[in-house]
Amino acid sequence: MYRYFLLTKKETRQRLKAAVHYTVGRLCQKIEEEHRREFSRQTIAAIAETTFRECDIFAKDLEAFARHAKRSTVSAEDVKLLARRSRALSNHIQNKSEELAQEQRESRKKSTVKRKSRETEEESRE
Amino acid sequence: MAEKEEEVCFKKETVSKLLCSFFKEDKTRLGSDATLLMREMLKVFVQEAALRSLKQAEAEDCNQVEIEHFEKILPQLLLDF
Repeated sequence: MYRYFLLTKKETRQRLKAAVHYTVGRLCQKIEEEHRREFSRQTIAAIAETTFRECDIFAKDLEAFARHAKRSTVSAEDVKLLARRSRALSNHIQNKSEELAQEQRESRKKSTVKRKSRETEEESRE
Repeated sequence: MAEKEEEVCFKKETVSKLLCSFFKEDKTRLGSDATLLMREMLKVFVQEAALRSLKQAEAEDCNQVEIEHFEKILPQLLLDF
């Protein structure tokens, strides 16, 4: 008996929507705790739905930016362009981008150090 | 041992699948650094939506944040993003 493991497009979309809804719920929950005011279920659902739809707009924009730069892979620079409408947002994304780049550099250093010390160990054994 | 506060955010895989599902062309890919940045972008979007709605509810002296509050702040939210 052959079983289909591929999800239909509709099922994939439903799962993604559910995943978004879940995280939106948790983010709202944190805000509820901090501000001691509750969100109605309807509101959380509306925020989740809006976020999902906004991703469509984001994705199309990102794709257009990458294509404009003659790339087929969307880069961090494309995301920064996406955040251009608000100065505060733009700064926030720029800072996050630098933070992530820093973390990447540090993790590369660590793995280089690890590799070098392993090599030295192996050398001394011989 | 102090308990580390768990930071809520979207899963990297979710962000990636989500955005890729909306690309028009098959050949378009999402870079790893772009995925991480978009994860932050989406988190900020949700937080702004929630906080602005909450502020609206507070301004109207409502105990619960209702959909009307969200609807009022939605236009400016979309203009800012």
